[in-house]
Amino acid sequence: MVATIARTRRRRWPIVAVLLGVPIGLYLLEPVAGPWLRTTLIVAGSLLVEAVPFVLLGAFVSAAIEVFVPASAFARIATLPRPLQLPAAAAAGIAFPVCECGSVPVARRLARRGLSPPAAVTFMLAAPVVNPVVIASTLVAYRARDTQWLMVGGRFLLGFVVAMAVGWVVGSRRSEDLLRARADEEDEPDDLGAGRARRFVGHLSGDVLFMGRYLVVGATVAAVVQTLVPPPVLDGVASLPVLGIVVMMVLAFVMSLCSESDAFVAASFVGFSPGAQLAFLVSGPMLDTKLAALYVGTFGRRFLRTAIVTVGTLTLALCLWVDVLW
Amino acid sequence: MVRRWSAARLVTAAVLGAWATLFWFVWLSGRTTLYLSGRTAWLVPLGAALATIAAVGRLLTARTNLDEQLDARTAWRAAILVLPVLVVLVLPPASLGAYAAGRRSSFGAAGLVTPDDFEHGPLTMIHIAAAETSIEDLGRLRRRAGESVTLEGFVTRDEGMPADELLLTRFVISCCVADATTATVRVVGVPPGVYADGAWITVTGRVYPLGDRIIVTASSTSPIAVPADPYLGAV
Repeated sequence: MVATIARTRRRRWPIVAVLLGVPIGLYLLEPVAGPWLRTTLIVAGSLLVEAVPFVLLGAFVSAAIEVFVPASAFARIATLPRPLQLPAAAAAGIAFPVCECGSVPVARRLARRGLSPPAAVTFMLAAPVVNPVVIASTLVAYRARDTQWLMVGGRFLLGFVVAMAVGWVVGSRRSEDLLRARADEEDEPDDLGAGRARRFVGHLSGDVLFMGRYLVVGATVAAVVQTLVPPPVLDGVASLPVLGIVVMMVLAFVMSLCSESDAFVAASFVGFSPGAQLAFLVSGPMLDTKLAALYVGTFGRRFLRTAIVTVGTLTLALCLWVDVLW
Repeated sequence: MVRRWSAARLVTAAVLGAWATLFWFVWLSGRTTLYLSGRTAWLVPLGAALATIAAVGRLLTARTNLDEQLDARTAWRAAILVLPVLVVLVLPPASLGAYAAGRRSSFGAAGLVTPDDFEHGPLTMIHIAAAETSIEDLGRLRRRAGESVTLEGFVTRDEGMPADELLLTRFVISCCVADATTATVRVVGVPPGVYADGAWITVTGRVYPLGDRIIVTASSTSPIAVPADPYLGAV
């Protein structure tokens, strides 16, 4: 017994050392390390201050789905024909005006509660692109441009199509195959005879702990890359049809912007074709550095590969068509 | 069955409490403007409220009839979540500066300023950024050429700039600092060698279009402290 307590205390020391050492180390290092460290910390802090409330909101909705929505509701949706499930899931995203970080815990919960994995994935990818807040911000960012309605309509339609395509590719996977193994789940077992409130809190805090650590890692990586990658040599590739689109998708991945703000940044890339700007707006909310960490944590590496290939190729193809037709 | 305090749940409550503390601190200390734009500032009180509710809820349900242990993995995960909170609370407040300005694209303000805004009221960095990216807005600014302006920003310079010129720069954010883009205006007639890159100054002078660029001829300049709201809002 004494040995166990001593071992437990020994294991805690490294954690205490990290919690004390890292902030103090950064405090001492920041004035002498040069502006890159300060810039990285500012960007990472800003990404987290913006994203964590959305994760909290998503976790509240997710816990409410788990505790208050009967399983029969999802069973009914699951009986719909597959061709109807995907458009219905994408359309449901219109009613969920949060950023991409909030839609991941909700999709995870929906899949665990019996919604078909393709429908859950379609909802997760479509919601941050097609929700009314994002559409409104795109409308404002492109105000007085002749591409305004192309951007707004294109973003909505392409977001819808690409999200359904990823859902279709995920296809026949069962939720146990799609979601990471139980060992990684944070949901604690319910207390014996626990009421709804206790279960709600259990699932809520489990989701925050589960998603939060991936968000911290993703935001840190995004901030480091944003700060340290040299200023892009964009002018040379802006007018190249395929490369311009690919570069904008890579930028969207690296910058990890909130889908409610990315239109203002996309609009600043005036040298790029409308198709390339659209690629930035469609692929960014579905695939970026912080989302990659969340996807790996929630669904595993296989899903991330599927998402990269499907979102990347389909967005490239569709946006090339936009440039051809515009 | 007897309920006992669960160490794992207490740690989770502490993590949620730490984030609640961060959001309350950012909100009450007025530091929201260092992270978010006016458009998204509501996220901080929302985060404070949600994290507080979650932390209190977890604390109230931290006694359980289950045998729960705090394993090392859970403890490390909690530490990862608390670490950014400690870093933000420990480090002094700061905003993006000249280093970041060189790695960001220019603010595309075309269409964001209405013609009516251009006709009336004082000219700002946003007006100038709009005029530098839109021929229509440049035409509107031409009609106000020679007007007096007072602008605040930090100093950056292009390579090979004359000693009596500088670029007055502000970051423009739409949601958070990660989406920052730059609005700059060329200022001529500044005292050479006085202002280092990154120094915050206020410039009073007259604004003129010069080809497709805008310049401000400075009549007076003076150093200022970093404003409490260092970023301009896009809309």
